[in-house]
Amino acid sequence: MLQGQLEIQLIAIVTAVACALPGVFLVLRRMTLMSDAISHAILPGIVLAFFLTESLSSPLLILAAAGTGVLTVVFVELLQRTKLVKEDAAIGLTFPALFSIGVILISRFAGNVHLDMDAVLLGELAYAPLNRLETFGNDLGPVSLYVMGTILLLNLAFILLFYKELKLATFDASLAATLGFAPTLIHYGLMTLVSVTTVGAFDAVGSILVVALIAGPPATAYLMTDRLSRMLLLSAVVGGVNAVSGYWLAFAFDVSIAGSIATVTLLMFGLTFMAVPNRGLIAIARRRACQKWEFAQTMLVIHLFNHEGLPEAEAESEIAHLHEHLRWDPAFATQVVKYALNNRFVLQKETQLTLTQQGRTIAQQALVQ
Amino acid sequence: MQALETKAIEVTDLTVAYQDKPVLWDIDLDVPPGVLLSIVGPNGAGKTTLIKAILGLVRPAAGNVLIYDKPYEAQRRIVGYVPQRGTVDWDFPTNVLDVVMMGRYGALGWIRRPRKQERALAMNALEKVGMEGYATRQISQLSGGQQQRVFLARALVQDSTVYLMDEPFQGVDATTERAIVDLLQELRENGKTVVVVHHDLQTVTDYFDWVMLLNIRRIASGPVEETFTPENLRQTYGGRIAFIKNE
Amino acid sequence: MENLNILARFDYTLMVVTIGAALLGAVSGSLGTYAVLRRQSLLGDAISHAALPGIAIAFLLTGSKAPLILVLGAAIAGWLGTLLIMSIVRLTRIKYDSALGIVLSTFFGFGLVLHTLIQRTGNANQAGLDTFLFGQAATILASDILTIGVLGGVAIVITFIFWKELKLLVFDEGFAASLGFPLRTLDILLTSLLVIAIVLGLQAVGAVLMSAMLVAPAVAARQWTNKLGLMMFLAACFGALAGVSGAIISSTASRIPTGPTIVLCATVVVGFSIAFASNRGLLWDWIRQKRNRRNLKMTEQP
Repeated sequence: MLQGQLEIQLIAIVTAVACALPGVFLVLRRMTLMSDAISHAILPGIVLAFFLTESLSSPLLILAAAGTGVLTVVFVELLQRTKLVKEDAAIGLTFPALFSIGVILISRFAGNVHLDMDAVLLGELAYAPLNRLETFGNDLGPVSLYVMGTILLLNLAFILLFYKELKLATFDASLAATLGFAPTLIHYGLMTLVSVTTVGAFDAVGSILVVALIAGPPATAYLMTDRLSRMLLLSAVVGGVNAVSGYWLAFAFDVSIAGSIATVTLLMFGLTFMAVPNRGLIAIARRRACQKWEFAQTMLVIHLFNHEGLPEAEAESEIAHLHEHLRWDPAFATQVVKYALNNRFVLQKETQLTLTQQGRTIAQQALVQ
Repeated sequence: MQALETKAIEVTDLTVAYQDKPVLWDIDLDVPPGVLLSIVGPNGAGKTTLIKAILGLVRPAAGNVLIYDKPYEAQRRIVGYVPQRGTVDWDFPTNVLDVVMMGRYGALGWIRRPRKQERALAMNALEKVGMEGYATRQISQLSGGQQQRVFLARALVQDSTVYLMDEPFQGVDATTERAIVDLLQELRENGKTVVVVHHDLQTVTDYFDWVMLLNIRRIASGPVEETFTPENLRQTYGGRIAFIKNE
Repeated sequence: MENLNILARFDYTLMVVTIGAALLGAVSGSLGTYAVLRRQSLLGDAISHAALPGIAIAFLLTGSKAPLILVLGAAIAGWLGTLLIMSIVRLTRIKYDSALGIVLSTFFGFGLVLHTLIQRTGNANQAGLDTFLFGQAATILASDILTIGVLGGVAIVITFIFWKELKLLVFDEGFAASLGFPLRTLDILLTSLLVIAIVLGLQAVGAVLMSAMLVAPAVAARQWTNKLGLMMFLAACFGALAGVSGAIISSTASRIPTGPTIVLCATVVVGFSIAFASNRGLLWDWIRQKRNRRNLKMTEQP
């Protein structure tokens, strides 16, 4: 493996993990689309900072972007607070407007400078190692690795430091407020992180695909676990795996690396969606097939139990008429009766079914839960 | 064998499950014509689900529902429905009269628009609920009680024989509650059957003549004086009933 | 001198572009009304991004760049994206916003992969992608106007035919179902209309800014009226206004892209409406509060 390849993959992994960590909280707080909005809306901030510094790697760019990102959140919330616009519409209004300003600024004033739209929207991971950090003639590695590494550490520090507060503010904001944890402050802290992360990831993947890195791995992890700590860990792992496999896929087919990572993100999500134990589609389908009989049997014993000792009991427990009462297919009803007889939950007395003590217990248990 | 009387609503062995979780187990319920029935039970007892199952809005896993001896699909025109007030966006750009006229949409069928006749029926219904002065009012400017009256008026213009109402007393003031009760009782006097999901145990005996106690399964149903007993309530609410009565 | 310059520029091409932008604004504005009322404002964003792989595949399969074929591909992919969002929400614990974000970005990423594949075969250039991202309002042709007019017109006529049913669906799904109207069919119909508006609008403002063209006119219109019909009509007018003014402004100076200018014009309309609309507007609200306070004071003083 060439050094360049290794560096690209390293950058991809660091970026993916840095995005996935705050992404977990966005997914849980139902604010994923805020990251989409922020990643587009910070464009004017970047452009203005670029005009000032005339450099794309100045730290000022990140500060300006973070500022614009927070401003976007404030705009959306102000719009909502007028009660004239709902949240989704507020987001849908804010970011295109800010993005448009950015585009117009670029095409009007920066036509000849090196800041083109494709770089902002799509990024190009392949070029990331070209910009190197050098001190006294020593090559210390690609700049973006340092930038994203710092952002990753920042995200990690924020989450470790405020883990308890983040958790509480995510699951019960009002409780967090009464306990004095200032959920608003946590909220804006998180949004600042998202803004910083997004602008850092620009170089690598651009503003559209950054959403895939922010939303994809956490959503995939959310299908696998219920625990927040494990979800954070899994998101990071999934993000890293997506990044590396996306890179090799792009290498094999000679296509866009960022696009390929996004595609793998979708595939990973889809695969998890299908195959994850317990919650996946396959598991649900299999469980349903097994449970179909169990469920029908429970329905049968409850049916008998409900009518036990009542005047209509005789009619209700007639085997030949069961399917009419329960609206089952006659063949299905016969199967269910056989199943329940095998399990000794019911007894057959001539044409009637009666419950065994065991069957009665099952019915009671089902009704109590 | 007793003579078979036609029932307004006949639910037999109804089981409803959301995904894998059963929410109603083997429910039987007979509602004779011309009664005012309340469905009572704790939160999560499946009250709304039962109403929705009767209306065919959720598919049952087993069992059957008949309205005057026929399945719901054949009887849509004689069933009126009042959903929970909170299920719609009251900032929707429309006015009171327009919402009430929606009650005629079923009878109008596809594509045909409401006309003068529908307008007159809607005004008439608004008068019955004491809202005739609000016909052109934008719906976001209504109070909770007024919203509920508008929903009732919408059900009234359906001109149904059977009414199903999901929590019509939710969040309304005392005056509106009284007015709604009067209206429900008037409907019953006119031979209509009214089924109401209800929350307040204190008022069951005052407002209704029939009651169904529900908690995933049917605990009991029948005339209030026979059915609304401490023993049945204890079975429905478990230990929590003492707390409720003390309130 | 400057004025003369504008007049001279107001030639046939500009007229075609202006008419096209106006039509697109009107179509997306009126159909966006439903998206805003159903709180699906950002579905437009997802559909427009998800359309990219559809366009690429349509091109790979047919080798044709005919607008109608590409629009068809875009529509199918946008539709599939919507379907996937709905299935994720229905079948998993993932919420609507995350499902939308995933579909939006990953479909787009897949489209990018396909695009680089096409680029490698030398059949297309970067301009194709830029067109998708930012639209090409400045290159609208008379034949495009016909396509926009016919497809958009059909979509709007359909909303008129099923006016009552769609209104009921958007306002109260449960009640609509109890009356026997098929929710799923109506939902599919409404989403299809939205997809049509989006794939048409892609030409003018591109994928990134499409959501604004659906949302902004409808939000602005909502501030002026409490009637659904009038809201849709006003949204169409505001959309057309944004289209016309955006097209004209961007033609007056060099290097002002049309799409973003249209979006900014629409945003200005929204800002104005929220601030100054009668009844609902902020200014009106402020005056009313002030008056109420004064009345209160007057009643307090004997």
